[in-house]
Amino acid sequence: MPKREGGMSDHVIKSMPVYAPIRLDRSGRRHLLLADDVAALPTGLAADLSPDAFDERWLVVRQSQAIPSPDEHARDRPYRSDAHVLQALKWRLTSETMGLRLYAIGKEAFVWSVWNVALSFGLGGREVQLCASPAGPRRVYCNHCRTINEAATTNIVVCAGCRAPLYVRDHFSRRLNAYAGVQVDAEAPGEVPPIEVLYP
Amino acid sequence: MPITHKADESFRAPFRYANSDAAILRFPFPFPDDRYMYSVNLEPHVRGGPTEAFAAAFDIDEHYISECRERAMVLRQDPNRCLVLPHMMAAQWDTLELLMESLAQDYPEHFSLERAGERWTWTNRLLGLQDRFVFGDEHSLPQAPFEYITRQVQGDFTLQDQRDGTLYMDGGMVTTPADWSLEFDLGMTFHEWHGPVPVAHDIGVFDRALQYLLRLQHGRPVRRLNWTMTVNPRLDTSPENYPIWGPDKATVTPLNVGDKLHLRVELQTLYRLPRSNAILFGIRAYLASLSELARAPKWGRRLHRVLRDLHPDLVAYKGFSRYHQTAIDFLAAFDDGAPTSAGIGPDTDRLKA
Amino acid sequence: MIQTGPLFLRVVAIEPLSPRLKRITLQSAEGGLLPLSQPGAHLTLTLPGPGRGHRNAYSIVSPCDRRDHYQLIIRRAPASRGGSRHVHEVMAVGDVLEAAAPNSQFSIQSQTRKHLMIAGGVGLTPMLSLTSALRARGAHIELHQIAHVDEVAVFEALLAGERNVHIHTGRAKLDLTNLLARQPLGTHLYCCGPQAMMEAARDAAVALGWPETSLHQESFGAAGGAPFILRLARSGLEIAVGEHDTMLEAIEAAGVAAPSLCRGGACGVCLTSVIEGAPEHRDHVLSEAERAEGRKVLPCVSRSTTPYLVLDL
Repeated sequence: MPKREGGMSDHVIKSMPVYAPIRLDRSGRRHLLLADDVAALPTGLAADLSPDAFDERWLVVRQSQAIPSPDEHARDRPYRSDAHVLQALKWRLTSETMGLRLYAIGKEAFVWSVWNVALSFGLGGREVQLCASPAGPRRVYCNHCRTINEAATTNIVVCAGCRAPLYVRDHFSRRLNAYAGVQVDAEAPGEVPPIEVLYP
Repeated sequence: MPITHKADESFRAPFRYANSDAAILRFPFPFPDDRYMYSVNLEPHVRGGPTEAFAAAFDIDEHYISECRERAMVLRQDPNRCLVLPHMMAAQWDTLELLMESLAQDYPEHFSLERAGERWTWTNRLLGLQDRFVFGDEHSLPQAPFEYITRQVQGDFTLQDQRDGTLYMDGGMVTTPADWSLEFDLGMTFHEWHGPVPVAHDIGVFDRALQYLLRLQHGRPVRRLNWTMTVNPRLDTSPENYPIWGPDKATVTPLNVGDKLHLRVELQTLYRLPRSNAILFGIRAYLASLSELARAPKWGRRLHRVLRDLHPDLVAYKGFSRYHQTAIDFLAAFDDGAPTSAGIGPDTDRLKA
Repeated sequence: MIQTGPLFLRVVAIEPLSPRLKRITLQSAEGGLLPLSQPGAHLTLTLPGPGRGHRNAYSIVSPCDRRDHYQLIIRRAPASRGGSRHVHEVMAVGDVLEAAAPNSQFSIQSQTRKHLMIAGGVGLTPMLSLTSALRARGAHIELHQIAHVDEVAVFEALLAGERNVHIHTGRAKLDLTNLLARQPLGTHLYCCGPQAMMEAARDAAVALGWPETSLHQESFGAAGGAPFILRLARSGLEIAVGEHDTMLEAIEAAGVAAPSLCRGGACGVCLTSVIEGAPEHRDHVLSEAERAEGRKVLPCVSRSTTPYLVLDL
């Protein structure tokens, strides 16, 4: 990340999530895998881990006719969208018992949505594993006006709410599921560094 | 020692602020040595320390009334500077009790707390208020307990919930931040909210500090000092308002640096709270200009040396790249190379003119 | 609240609950309010005995919001030469005891959807203040008490105010696997009782996939240890470090000014070289390699594995 004017930059920042391919946590009893795209699975899972190792696999297929099986023992369930699978997850967690491990692979915004649902239904950090794959556009929270700017692909993005050119920081909030954005030319109005595309 | 509480200072443009000689002499100067680097500089918090700023559990000084007014203004402009997650209600009451008991004990001339079972009466003579309420019933107070009491104390506060082997910042009153956002950081773990701090992670400071804080006991609070610099005596240097105060940084010149550039010191205290098992983190900010501090010869010398030799990553992170050299040049005039004593005290009870 | 110095407590009531259980009520010896206790807190009492006496930790069973008194329930330990014998045979109403302010290592976990408690015998004591605080917050509680058949009536009386309580006459009567397997997500387990019982509960939970962070045991903190002799090479002093002293306290009591800051094993200021002996490390500063090498120690929290320890002080 280039330094912004005024000297602030995020050297390698410890609050930026760092992902590793999913490994099965064998201390758990049941393993539930969610993915927002079947294409994300190969890089999202550790090389020696097959999807078969999971008791259930819920996959977002982005088709309106998709429907999960009514059979409670079905291992593979297709869902129409992120919203559809998250809703199903809420219902499932309501009746689950201790011993579950939840795994999510997909875009960064998706995996942290899964995280927030998991935490609100009683799972703790040790029971959830995430892999955002591949590195992708960022949701950016404008610190000045609180607008969330979706899918930023550049290092500097103009806020849709207050029009400030925001430097997209590496400081990430799991609760807001977004990176912080701060006005890049606040100290020297008009001096905006060159904009670079980071996520094509 | 009776002090005059100034009621009409201004921590925003147009600025009106100065420290009396007594306020300068009691300043919690943060440098015990001529060099500064991050460390786990926690020590037991007792009533007493190297300057008068350490004498009370929660320090009230001559800026009290003005700072309370400033806090009220920040909250009217941006109510989200006080946020507490719903599961922290026990911690709110713990905080109210701790602050009321401490202020009434340390400043009986200004504050009184009377208790008849759950019916409490709180009197704050400096702000001219008195409230009767039922401890435990949030509807009997004009605001939720945490907001209610922190509106009457100087400095920011955060509430940290202890669970999963770490601390979560689950609430706060943050109207005088040194460029960090409560709203953004709310809900973060100890390592996450310290994420942006350079160098310290690599030398293990946060791992050790966290292990220590997880064992913090009720009745045994700790404290430490933190510091940065601020242009103008501005307390609300929040990321939220960075577009407003950011331009200040380019206004420092060799002629005005002594009066415009302020050392901002945070006397941070950490108390374990009894009912909630949470930790109350107090961030009490003090401002003094370079000129004010240089009136104590030891501080003039030391401040010059610390800034001159500061690690470049810290200069960048603390945000004073623009005027760093200007400050060093100004302070050089106060540094004759003479030795300075260890410890933070001014080594004098009278300031130069 | 900043606690300076110990508390002095007067015994105002001693009630036998059973042949081996007594409930003691303590008030401030100086009159006035006691420091606020905390859910799950214990009181470390100094009971008369040889030398500096016995320092024993007992859970406070009264609700933690009561500042006019503390109540403890103390079991007569078999063949006790220590504190519990004094409580059961010697202590009288009117006695004044020294105590450290209440401290809790066994707290309510927030963000928990259900609090599941398993107590064995007098291990119920830390649970009582937890349940009264949780009840006031409307939390979801389930408590399982393992009690000797002779004491069932006592525990029923102690738990009379609680719903969702199950008393089992003996450990075999409690099907741990069944109980733990059916708990909803977000349940935390609190356990206190005989070591074997606590280990069995923990092992069963782990086998069923409970994460470590959901399991809590009352350990009363792990301060203190076997006494040893400290020799300070430079000053030539020999100092006895008692089981309840820290090395730093013993050094200071001998009049030696040793540097220190946080007094909690985190800042490294008290770091000292070890000339002879093998330290027992309890700090957060030294690396694994440094610990293994045994040439450095932090006297504010660490102790000795050998009867003598020689420091470069």
